Amino acid sequence: MTEFMDLEAQDGVRMPWNVIPGTKQEASNCVVPVSAIYTPIKAFPVNNNSMPILPYAPLRCRTCRSILNPFSIVDFAAKIWICPFCFQRNHFPPHYASITDDNLPAELFPQYTTIEYEPPGPGEKSSVPPVFMFVVDTCIIEEEMSFLKSALSQAIDLLPDNSLVGLITFGTLVQVHELGGFGQIIPKTYVFKGSKDVSKDQLLEQLNFFIKKPKPSTGVIAGVRDGLSSDTIARFLVPAFDCEFTLNSVLEELQKDPWPVPPDQRSTRCTGTALSIAASLLGACVPGSGARILAFVGGPSTEGPAAIVSKNLSEPIRSHKDLDKDSAPHYHKAVKFYDALSKQLVHQGHVLDLFACALDQVGVAELKVAVEKTGGLVVLSDSFGHAVFKDSVRRVFHSGDYDLGLSSNGIFEINCSKDIKVQGIIGPCASLEKDLIAGFDQEAAAVVMARLVSFKMEIEAEFDPIRWLDKALIHMCSRFGDYQKDSPSSFSLSPRFSIFPQFMFHLRRSQFVQVFNNSPDETAYFRMILNRENVTNSVVMIQPSLISYSFHSGPEPALLDVAAIAADRILLLDSYFTVVIFHGATIAQWRKAGYHNQPEHQAFAQLLQAPHDDAGVIMKERFPVPRLVICDQHGSQARFLLAKLNPSATYNSDAQIPGGDIIFTDDVSFEVFLDHLQRLAVQ
Amino acid sequence: MAASVPPGAPRQQPPPPPPNYNPNLQQNPNSLSDNFQNLNLNRPVSMPNSGPRPTPFAQSPQFPVTAPSPPMSRPGPPPPGALSRPAGTPQQSFPPNVAPVRPFGPPVGQSLPFGSRPPPGSFPSSMGGGGPVGVPTSGVPPSSAFPSSGSLTRPVGATPGARPFPLASSLPFSSGLNVAPSGASDGVTSNGPMAFAASGGPRFPPAGSGAQQTRTPPAGPPSMLTSARSPQQSPSMRFPPVQQSPFSAAPQNAPPFSSAPPFSAAPQNAPPFSSAPPFSAAPQSAPPFSAAPQSTPPFSGAPSFPAPSPQGPPQVSPFGAHTWSAQPVGPSSSIPGSAQPSRMFGMPPPLQTQTMTNMPPAMGQTGAPMPASSKIDPQQIPRPVPSSTVVLYDTREGNQANPPPPATSEYIVRDMGNCSPRYMRCTISQIPCTNDLLTTSGMQLALLVQPLALPHPSEEPIQIVDFGDMGPVRCSRCKAYINPFMKFIDQGRRFICSLCGFTDETPRDYHCNLGPDGRRRDADDRPELCRGTVEFVATKEYMVRDPMPAVFFFLIDVSMNALQTGATAAACSAISQVISDLPEGPRTMVGIATFDSTIHFYNLKRALQQPLMLIVPDVEDVYTPLQSDIIVPVSECRQHLELLLESIPSMFQNNRTAESAFGAAVKAAFLALKSTGGKLLVFQSVLPSVGIGALSAREAEGRSNISSGEKETHKLLQPADKTLKAMAIEFAEYQVCVDVFITTQTYVDIASISVIPKTTGGQVYYYYPFSALSDPAKLYNDLRWNITRPQGFEAVMRVRCSQGIQVQEYHGNFCKRIPTDIDLPAIDCNKAIMVTLKHDDKLQDGSECAFQCALLYTTVYGQRRIRVTTLSLPCTSNLSNLYRSADLDTQFTCFMKQAASEIPSTPLANVREQMMNLCVNALVSYRKFCATVSSSGQLILPEALKLLPLYTLGKYYNVHSFCA
Repeated sequence: MTEFMDLEAQDGVRMPWNVIPGTKQEASNCVVPVSAIYTPIKAFPVNNNSMPILPYAPLRCRTCRSILNPFSIVDFAAKIWICPFCFQRNHFPPHYASITDDNLPAELFPQYTTIEYEPPGPGEKSSVPPVFMFVVDTCIIEEEMSFLKSALSQAIDLLPDNSLVGLITFGTLVQVHELGGFGQIIPKTYVFKGSKDVSKDQLLEQLNFFIKKPKPSTGVIAGVRDGLSSDTIARFLVPAFDCEFTLNSVLEELQKDPWPVPPDQRSTRCTGTALSIAASLLGACVPGSGARILAFVGGPSTEGPAAIVSKNLSEPIRSHKDLDKDSAPHYHKAVKFYDALSKQLVHQGHVLDLFACALDQVGVAELKVAVEKTGGLVVLSDSFGHAVFKDSVRRVFHSGDYDLGLSSNGIFEINCSKDIKVQGIIGPCASLEKDLIAGFDQEAAAVVMARLVSFKMEIEAEFDPIRWLDKALIHMCSRFGDYQKDSPSSFSLSPRFSIFPQFMFHLRRSQFVQVFNNSPDETAYFRMILNRENVTNSVVMIQPSLISYSFHSGPEPALLDVAAIAADRILLLDSYFTVVIFHGATIAQWRKAGYHNQPEHQAFAQLLQAPHDDAGVIMKERFPVPRLVICDQHGSQARFLLAKLNPSATYNSDAQIPGGDIIFTDDVSFEVFLDHLQRLAVQ
Repeated sequence: MAASVPPGAPRQQPPPPPPNYNPNLQQNPNSLSDNFQNLNLNRPVSMPNSGPRPTPFAQSPQFPVTAPSPPMSRPGPPPPGALSRPAGTPQQSFPPNVAPVRPFGPPVGQSLPFGSRPPPGSFPSSMGGGGPVGVPTSGVPPSSAFPSSGSLTRPVGATPGARPFPLASSLPFSSGLNVAPSGASDGVTSNGPMAFAASGGPRFPPAGSGAQQTRTPPAGPPSMLTSARSPQQSPSMRFPPVQQSPFSAAPQNAPPFSSAPPFSAAPQNAPPFSSAPPFSAAPQSAPPFSAAPQSTPPFSGAPSFPAPSPQGPPQVSPFGAHTWSAQPVGPSSSIPGSAQPSRMFGMPPPLQTQTMTNMPPAMGQTGAPMPASSKIDPQQIPRPVPSSTVVLYDTREGNQANPPPPATSEYIVRDMGNCSPRYMRCTISQIPCTNDLLTTSGMQLALLVQPLALPHPSEEPIQIVDFGDMGPVRCSRCKAYINPFMKFIDQGRRFICSLCGFTDETPRDYHCNLGPDGRRRDADDRPELCRGTVEFVATKEYMVRDPMPAVFFFLIDVSMNALQTGATAAACSAISQVISDLPEGPRTMVGIATFDSTIHFYNLKRALQQPLMLIVPDVEDVYTPLQSDIIVPVSECRQHLELLLESIPSMFQNNRTAESAFGAAVKAAFLALKSTGGKLLVFQSVLPSVGIGALSAREAEGRSNISSGEKETHKLLQPADKTLKAMAIEFAEYQVCVDVFITTQTYVDIASISVIPKTTGGQVYYYYPFSALSDPAKLYNDLRWNITRPQGFEAVMRVRCSQGIQVQEYHGNFCKRIPTDIDLPAIDCNKAIMVTLKHDDKLQDGSECAFQCALLYTTVYGQRRIRVTTLSLPCTSNLSNLYRSADLDTQFTCFMKQAASEIPSTPLANVREQMMNLCVNALVSYRKFCATVSSSGQLILPEALKLLPLYTLGKYYNVHSFCA
């Protein structure tokens, strides 16, 4: 396994098959597709060997536009390099004239398989400040509003001084705040009807963009260069250090959407229109420069083109069932709207980040497309007061350790060899079966399967994910396992594959596949995170990690099984979205008795504290910040742990369990699962 | 201006009405007098001293302004009169009495200046009416002709003030009305009794003589005009206007005649007139009576001259010197000329005979041209005789309805069971038993209802009756309210409805035994059983929701033009000043918005910070940007309001937006008001050019098409499209009343805009051409009266009649959704409704026919009330009785209102012909059936209608000039 980790550490890439099947046939027999999971702007540790940043433009292949890399064959004498992708022979340009075997440019060093170029652009492009457009929902109760306000004002404090800030609030109507009204006696806000989608041209017209400088008769209106006066732009996008006061005063006066909501109705919320206006405004003012729309949404959109549900409370928000049956009347329209929005944003090079905080669904399922395609962040929480939200927002703007290194406006190109299904990185190819196994990365494979099954569940109608996963696993086992036909007991898997079935078992039980208990919004949210996370984190989502703390031993990994529960143990479960600290019954009793506060029980205090410290570490690194659940055995919150455990002991198991806990489920346990798998694989 | 307009001074009536405050009851003693005659006048703002200052007057006049319009009229007609006389029998013609009147005339005229604008109040078109002045251009030639007519005009001049008002408000023609003979003196007093008197005296002291004299001097007509005016102007900006206007009228006439002095001078200075006579000849040929058509020709000429617009300017001009120049032309004078014919009428009839006046045959013969003049005895011309004494009037006497005193006289009413004529008066004080009889009489049967009219200070206030949860006692069949004419029978156990005749059980709680006279013993203790007007406290049954708060929403034009002309600043300053005059209490709410090509609302409720501007940029599909907080209790936002109003002019100082989204802004403001209803006061300065209800500059088309005849031009008086009408109906439905203050220097298509105020029970104020120097004071005064006058909201009015008569139609500014009721989102003391009646059965001779007007409304303090006004009149089958009991003032007002409403849709010639016919028919019928002695050459006038010809003539001109 470690070699895969090393690879990830160097290049941010992991692949299920690090040996590539030689033929298409072989590849399809591999069950797990040949693929790579890549973290493009993974932060690399800074040390001597760290990735260099080259102050010049990359050298590209004449035909396939691939970039010169360590795998290129270089003829130092002829000053020629051969593109490893298309085998085109390329001449080095004059400034590579001094290249020799001893004098290699950095991009040819074998260890620099990942490298960054920072060519001196025209006019110091890096001086373009980041742009943050806050889009804030006001259809939320006062309490939520105050949470949101404080989170926002914290965020504003953290903004880089030179960044440009805009503010749009919405509810029944959309309000575009003019933050840059310098010297104005009275602050201004432009108000748009929520039910009506405004085109970019109309928007510019209505925001008085052409008052001082007439509208250019032709061409695209975008930015200062293309016809907008910088004065007008500065009305809406203001440097953070200039507008902090204004912004805070606007936030201070921000009220709950004042339109009355009849008791049998949802409040009128035009999320789609607000986002569309934000996108158009950014598109007009700062096209092509790094801008993010930060949307804070507290409920479902009920107004305008992207409504996900009607205002009438008697109509429930669509469930998975509705989506399966295609009986969600608003869904496709909304998805289409956001799809168009995502295209606009991508075209403009802008990002949509979504902070959805509500007990109800807010339409993440519909918004998913826009967030994913623009590479935005997504945070889902119950409330703007919840730590998941508050800490996540802080993380977005926080700089220093653990910062998210937000970048945007990236272009991601992948060059592939023609004959070989390789992406991004080249390894020696072999066609031998055994070697294939040797190159199998179980974790990456599990993640790929998870992404694939999620994708198929969204795209394919009537798709049965369990069946599909089972078939794939069986197929895989019969292909790569060692066994004698029809003899289940003879079945064994190579160590390279050994944990794969376990991953599949947990994947079958994960939120990605078992959607019943989740709303479409939550499912969309989980999948979006899955799709943007690296392998390690993704694996945690699929198969949570469990650590046990007790007096008998130090912290040690425990089996993700109900058997891991013991009265004198503390368990720390990390399922990515949730971190659970679970106190065994005895521990809980002691804690309630307050032993940890007594000097003679220092050890107990330390035992109690240890999982908290570890959880803190996890939460510090992770974005979105996970939800922390602290619970006791037999407590109601314990369900967060139990749901993830292998139900080796259920209410109908006979055997008495050491931990004294059982799980109320009809799900099969891992042992039964493996049993069946062995039987089926050998057939 | 500023100096003159001492804001402080004029306002003296701060007294906040008590909760139970009855709108009708005026707080100020002084105001009482005002109430009297100037219904229209805002309170005369009694400023004894201030009087001289233009402001007070100007202000008060504003509404009245309409009245003022009269002045305008004067100019036109009067001159003719003056001149005419000279022609005919100049010296003789002037009765000694007349002279005094004239002097007043000028003062009145002063009021007029302002008046000119006011006319707009009623109808834009009326503005055109202002035309009287406008005519001027061609003036010279005509003037010569008209001069002679002058004599008539004079009387008119005097009267105008008084009568015009009532009509004026509703009718554009008001000017015409002005002509009305009603005692000039009355007019004077009434108008601003205080104001005029004071001002008139000082300034014009010479008014009669002095003014005239000055005028006379200028020999050359043209020169005269100019000279006369110029002097006036020089005196003082404000005054001048006033004076000028009065004068201007005179001057105009004068010029033609050369002996401009005609008015005042004329009477006295016979000589000058003599010269004038020459002209007179022409007019005579036109004898109005003979045939409207004939007269028409002369008029037609006038129209050709200046379009209505020219007239407008002249009126305004008072202040602006330049404007004057235009006016001087004095086309008006030309018109006046036409008036001459009128004389013919007047002259013959000696006033002596009560029933009828005979015209000397010679005189009478309309056909007789100038020569006749020699035979005319001017002293016999019936003319309004002002009476300076206060009449004590009992509405009933000897169990009989008492015919009301002239509308323009000062009278104090004692309500004896019939309502005061201020609230309701009928065109005839006896009701014809059959439709045939009515038709034969040639008169109209109609009621003029002004439910919230201001009472005389000495009158007993209207009593408020609270029946508790039971609600007022009503007839179970026709729903008429209990009134003094309900007949209780069967020991009081039952009562017979005075309207439908149905017999009802008396509610047990309301039972009372009858006295020997058959009346209930408690009849005199219960206002509803002994008073013609009472106010009932409405119960829940009369409410579909809680009574609405008093909401005032100000909408201010901040387009480039409005800013540059100072209109925005004037509006802001006026609003800022009236904030303190708004009704006290938590139920008074205020909102403000501004607009150019977008609409800007203001959140006035931000606790810690200055107001927030909320911009609604989409003017095709508007909405209100906030549900609450843009309309807030005035007590909570005074500081914000002040800051805002102070800031608005500077905030938009550099506004380059010339477009105006009037329709959209009004709609958006309406949406903000929708949940409560309320008053929307709009300050508009340019033609609405974008967004909902955008208009185009039709006036240009109109001008270019003028050659194609009146057929095209009168379309300019019609709304351009139906969008605004549809909007207005919706506004009315949600109890939003729109008043529009037009402060402009250009064409704004009032014909279209006015649809909104008209339908919502609102009003148009017109300041044209707007002058930042002279108009702000007037604007402030108008606005202040608008807000402080007695008024009510969310009103519904219905008139019920005794069996045999039914309501045919309601006329006025309101919205009607069902045939029987009219909806008035707002109603105030200046609003009158005309109700035409028709027979659906025969009435019993000797019985009484009752009319009951019920107005359900909410006071500014949030009480729901029903004001019930009952009038019971005797029925008659005797034609002579009808003539004897004709109420000329009311009849004529009805004519005017009808003519006004027809002008936009009917060719002018037809309207004029109709007017003539109305007059002729009545007189012919009278002569035919009632005049015992008659020779063919005699014009016989019933006493009650003796001034009808004179009035008709005045109106005739007025209509003419209006259309010109």
